Amino acid sequence: MSVLKNWDINLRQSEKKTLLSFFILYSFFTVLLLLFLAITYYNSQKNLMLKDERLILSKYANKQIQKLKYLHVNFDKVPRIYPRNKKFKSGIYDSVYVKIFSLLDSDKVDLNEDIYLQDDKIYYIKELESYYLGTKYVVIEVKDNGIWKNKVYNNFAIYGTILLSILLLMGYFLMNLILRPMREAISLLDRFIKDTTHELNTPISTILSNIELSEDKSADERLQKRLNRIKIAAKTISNLYQDLVFLTLSSKRESKKEKTNIKRLLEERIEYFSLFFQSKKIVIRLKLEDGVVLYVDKNNFRKLIDNLLSNAIKYNKINGYIEVTLTKNDLCIKNSGRGIERDKLSQVFKRYERADKSVGGFGIGLSIVSKIAEEEGLKIMIDSVYKKFTTLKVSW
Amino acid sequence: MRVFIIFLIVMLNLQASVYQKNCVSCHEKLPVKIDKFFYRYLLKYSSGIETKYAIKIYLQDPKKENSILNPALLNRFGVKKKSKLSEKKLKKAISEYWDKYKVIGKLK
Repeated sequence: MSVLKNWDINLRQSEKKTLLSFFILYSFFTVLLLLFLAITYYNSQKNLMLKDERLILSKYANKQIQKLKYLHVNFDKVPRIYPRNKKFKSGIYDSVYVKIFSLLDSDKVDLNEDIYLQDDKIYYIKELESYYLGTKYVVIEVKDNGIWKNKVYNNFAIYGTILLSILLLMGYFLMNLILRPMREAISLLDRFIKDTTHELNTPISTILSNIELSEDKSADERLQKRLNRIKIAAKTISNLYQDLVFLTLSSKRESKKEKTNIKRLLEERIEYFSLFFQSKKIVIRLKLEDGVVLYVDKNNFRKLIDNLLSNAIKYNKINGYIEVTLTKNDLCIKNSGRGIERDKLSQVFKRYERADKSVGGFGIGLSIVSKIAEEEGLKIMIDSVYKKFTTLKVSW
Repeated sequence: MRVFIIFLIVMLNLQASVYQKNCVSCHEKLPVKIDKFFYRYLLKYSSGIETKYAIKIYLQDPKKENSILNPALLNRFGVKKKSKLSEKKLKKAISEYWDKYKVIGKLK
């Protein structure tokens, strides 16, 4: 992440989504792996416990068989009382799994098993060679004391946490490894833009100041037109320069909030763009309410208006119109432009995204608008009908 | 009076079951009682189905190989004669025999 901070790069939303997807997928498989290990470990410990218990239960079963044998031989001589033992419960079943007698807690016994755990009870099944009282299966039931289970859960908690941490750490490093080429490419691009931007500053300022100085009202119309074109071109580059500075140095800027008269600011910016309107013969319709004052960063808001107006001009048609409406609650800029297709509307606020590629630009204008709106706590809404109009509404 | 006693004996004889008439009557004369045979069958065949089937097979075709008696007793008494009872009567008699001596439901 240090690379990102150094180069003032922020990961785009889609990249963040990709990272999130990777992280979720990685976490899912990590948990799956841990779950598999946990189940395997649990089963191995259970089998180990059953193996230990088997020896004891086998002795219990043999004792029971001896008593069954005695009862079988003396069935008509002694009271027909099923042999009981305090240490275990038991049941006897015939060769077709019919219960002969049972003291077991459960009626559902799996006679095909040797030993198993069910509902915190251990069941041991012994098959007889001579079927005393018709018994083919003797089932011994004892309560599981759960000591092994507590040990298993404790180990889960300790080793599971350690393993999960290691795997997540590995995932983090893996993610960094995958991202490194992408970050380097982005940082290279941003560095290039930053350097270029820096080099643009001086010539643009020189051109603009010299145009101002060269403006001579006595000059003939053709010369005036040429000067205006140069001025528009210079201002376009200047705007682009400002946008790039805003994007590349955004994290170093300090927000200076102040009371800002929005109407005055709008008029100032409309005046700034007047040559652009003239060049495309755009009619500007203003409905500006007085006394709209907001507590915002003035430079930020200026940039927001500039980008909205610049877009309204850029995507407008010759002899079109731009409607600027300011109320106490919002600012609305509508242009009679090409409009945007409905399925592209959600993409327009993304950086380097352009709905209409027939016009020049980098696709950073609305991305800046969106960023400023986020910083200033404003809401942006876009409405457009393809080939008719586009309206951008900023509300507060 | 004599007629009445003869009538009573005939009536009782008629009311006695197939098992009583054809099995118990003969086994009572033997030194080994009928229940002993049952427990030997149970010891070898376990379930009701298998025990009843084994008895039926033996009674219909008595052989040394089918017998549950130990060799010493077999040599002394030999195998019994083939039963003349019909399949239905034989099954009925065996079922009664099973119900009389079965362990299921008799343990406490």
